[in-house]
Amino acid sequence: MPRTGVFLCHCGSNIAGTVNIDQTIEASRNFPGVVHVDEYRYLCSEMGQDIIKKAIEDNNLDRVVVGTCSPRMHENTFRKAAAEAGLNPYLLEVANIREHCSWVHKDMEEGTPKAIALLRAAAAKVALNEALEAPKLEVEKRALVIGGGIAGIQAALDIAEAGYPVDIVEREPSIGGRMAQLEKTFPTLDCSACILTPKMVEAAQHPNINLITYAEVEEVNGFVGQFDVKIKQKARYVDPVKCTGCGICWEKCPAKAPSEFEMGLAKRKSIYVPFAQAVPMVPVIDKETCLYFRKGRCQICEKECPPQAIDYEQQDEIIERRYGAIVVATGFDQMDPSIYGEYGYGQHPDILTGLEFERLFNASGPTGGKVVRLSDGKPPKKVVFIQCVGSRDKARGMNYCSKICCMFTAKQAILLKEKLPDAKSYVFYIDVRTAGKGYEEFQRRAAEEYDVAYLRGQVGKIFPEGDHLVVHGVDSLSGKVVDIKADMVVLSAASIARADAPELGRKIGINTDSYNFFNEAHPKLKPVETHTAGIFIAGACQTPKDIPDTVAQASAAAVKAVGLLSKEMLQGEACTAEVDEAECSGCLHCVAVCPYTAIDAKEIEERYGDGTLKRTVAEVNPALCQGCGSCSAICRSGSINQKGFSNEQILAEVDAICLQR
Amino acid sequence: MAENNVENLKKIREAVSQDLLGGRIDLLLGWEKGHYWWQSRPLFARTEEDLEKLTWDSFCAINLSRYLLDELKDFQKVGVLVKGCDARAFNRLLQDNMVVRDRVTLYGLPCPGMLDYDRLAEVAEAAPEGIIEQNGKVTIKTADGEKSADRDDLLADKCRDCIYPDPVVYDQLLLSPVGKKEAPEKFTAIEKLEEMSAEERYSYWEKELSRCLRCYACRQACPFCSCRECFVEQQNPRWQGRAYQASENFMFHLVRAYHGAGRCIDCGECERACPVDIPLQELNRKLTKDINQLYGDYEAGLDAELEPPLLTYRPDDPAAFSEK
Repeated sequence: MPRTGVFLCHCGSNIAGTVNIDQTIEASRNFPGVVHVDEYRYLCSEMGQDIIKKAIEDNNLDRVVVGTCSPRMHENTFRKAAAEAGLNPYLLEVANIREHCSWVHKDMEEGTPKAIALLRAAAAKVALNEALEAPKLEVEKRALVIGGGIAGIQAALDIAEAGYPVDIVEREPSIGGRMAQLEKTFPTLDCSACILTPKMVEAAQHPNINLITYAEVEEVNGFVGQFDVKIKQKARYVDPVKCTGCGICWEKCPAKAPSEFEMGLAKRKSIYVPFAQAVPMVPVIDKETCLYFRKGRCQICEKECPPQAIDYEQQDEIIERRYGAIVVATGFDQMDPSIYGEYGYGQHPDILTGLEFERLFNASGPTGGKVVRLSDGKPPKKVVFIQCVGSRDKARGMNYCSKICCMFTAKQAILLKEKLPDAKSYVFYIDVRTAGKGYEEFQRRAAEEYDVAYLRGQVGKIFPEGDHLVVHGVDSLSGKVVDIKADMVVLSAASIARADAPELGRKIGINTDSYNFFNEAHPKLKPVETHTAGIFIAGACQTPKDIPDTVAQASAAAVKAVGLLSKEMLQGEACTAEVDEAECSGCLHCVAVCPYTAIDAKEIEERYGDGTLKRTVAEVNPALCQGCGSCSAICRSGSINQKGFSNEQILAEVDAICLQR
Repeated sequence: MAENNVENLKKIREAVSQDLLGGRIDLLLGWEKGHYWWQSRPLFARTEEDLEKLTWDSFCAINLSRYLLDELKDFQKVGVLVKGCDARAFNRLLQDNMVVRDRVTLYGLPCPGMLDYDRLAEVAEAAPEGIIEQNGKVTIKTADGEKSADRDDLLADKCRDCIYPDPVVYDQLLLSPVGKKEAPEKFTAIEKLEEMSAEERYSYWEKELSRCLRCYACRQACPFCSCRECFVEQQNPRWQGRAYQASENFMFHLVRAYHGAGRCIDCGECERACPVDIPLQELNRKLTKDINQLYGDYEAGLDAELEPPLLTYRPDDPAAFSEK
């Protein structure tokens, strides 16, 4: 018979408010195996833990049940306390009285019997607990950063500065990301390239950083400390060692394609670097539009390249490498606002999105830095900005606020006035949201010093009339219908998750929310962690954010990754699955459902009649097993059992709840 | 079947005896006549004499593939006669890693559907003493004379809703194919059950399952039951109480049905084997219907290469259980 101690926490009034502590404690005395009971206001406090430790020593307890909050919250706290008193930490069970009972019931009449039942179940389970040992796992002291925008660059720099090697995998031919596309940054109007480019260069030159551009993550296996990653290095058709970045190839290339970097507003060549400050300054050949790849002739780049760096025979390559930690910083996309037919996006060249309009300010942009109408090249006199296009729109767009639009609109309106003092800006908005250091002041400046007219209301229709675009809206503050004869219209299209974020999430084993942004482990207390240990997130791949927030989160993710990499050894999972070979029929359905590829087939020999018979059974690799329990659930004969959650233990819990109702 | 039965049997015997006597197989699983004329039981043929007992008539309902579980332990190469349902059962065993494909030779027998003694007696309104089959008609001989009926009206329950009478997997096809059939009635009973209120449904099953003797014949006949030790017999943990009472009967039948979710090949052997006529197929088919609705049409046993929906993970899998 075990010697079990039951300890009930009041959690202030969180538990004591709806669970009668005295009654529950008295009932617990009679559970099989219980030799000691106690209660305390806050068991998780040092005093509370001391009560448990002392009781273990004084009463020679070999099993402990604590009735507290969720094990997600304090299981570790109590396990540690038990271990300090000399008990194997896995001989302690948490009955979740707070989340599963006291918080969901309104009065003691309901709460108390349920608390008793939950404690009885935990006492029945703990009687069958076995002492477990968590395996020690090595940590590969290298980090992977997925995404080379400002978030990825910052995270990589911080990890590298802490002394660990880090690889950045970037899908595009150059790092830089969205920030590289911006002209100026709010609220200080720093030139975006001027503050970003030094960081790009620093990353490229850092001895601990290895850039893998024009590459994508194909597959991630393994677990915290030992992620085995396959990275597809797409063929550049240019030898990066020989290439000097002289630019002759893209100067001479006769084939053109819309420039992704310029949001399709300008053309690039088929052999190209996305922008002038690209890092690395090594072009790629776009196979789809290259004349040689399409028609088998041209080869001008090959003929003209001074160091003979062009290599049409290059193939995609798979790089396989092990990493201890991963930071995901894959950024965001801009919603295509053409679903809003009333705004006419895509039907008129002077109706642009915010990011497209941004490019018009840039000296190396599609208009050479002249803000002009794309229809006729004339400078606009009236520009209308429309906010929340796809944001805060339950019916057709996203429920959330894209956060950056109010500010970049104020910025663009200011920049416009500075470039074209005669131009007038109008902003249709729902609310102006400018929380952030210096943000409100910045927006007020736009309204007060830069003559930007803010109209609270929505736009119903935009239609061309002669040279103009008539913006038909309502100013809800005056209640009047407003028709503005605009020269250009800028839509603040929602910031949305990358279309392939869920797919990447599946590859690396982290999940996405209903908008396809990556989920953090806790919205307040674990904002850069994910539910998968060793994988962290940073930047707008989590939710729309501005540059300061992105950089802060990237550094936070880097600290988490560094904290992990600095450990000598990690504790593995103790509650792994094990196979009863005598029962296992070898159907291997467990192999199919194991998300960690921790189960393999194994051939065993057993006696049969006068001889022996070979047959197949399942075998669990405890180093890979994360204790999720999928195998145990799929196994019809109960031949796979999870330590700490064995079938016997679960049934004992069910029986303890059902039999004594 | 009777008109060309002699010829068919000759064809079958020729094919299998060549293989058995030539050593290409060590054992043939087929059928032989049982104690009664309306019973054909499994034949385990190792010699030429054994093969003389081989039969192929309208009573070879028993699914032979399941016998491979045992016979492959003793024999290296086994041949099996497979009807549509036996072949689907073979695919089930293959997917469960219970058989090794190249140790088994499958002789495909397109099946016209098997007859049921109880149906014969019902139609004849007397104890049948024999039958004569001709042109889709069956003449039932009784002590009072003869009665004729359409063959389709005399089919065993498990054959009435059969869609795939032709083997879906085989090494040699010994007879000409019958062709895919329609089974519009397949889910009728399930739809009726679904229309019931929870209380009505509970009392329906309480009544049906109260007859269960827990003889486990359904399990023994079933090609998806291939555990080395069934949960009902395990002692630690003791999933299944031994008591003969409604709750324990529910426990057995519901767990049995769930173990077949997405795996049941709809051969109807459980129901055929049941001595107290519990409509077990209704439990199996309800799960099949639900899985089809949730994950798209999937017919277990048709193709061993197709992954069963519950044994795969797809990101867009519906999660009906977590939706409100």
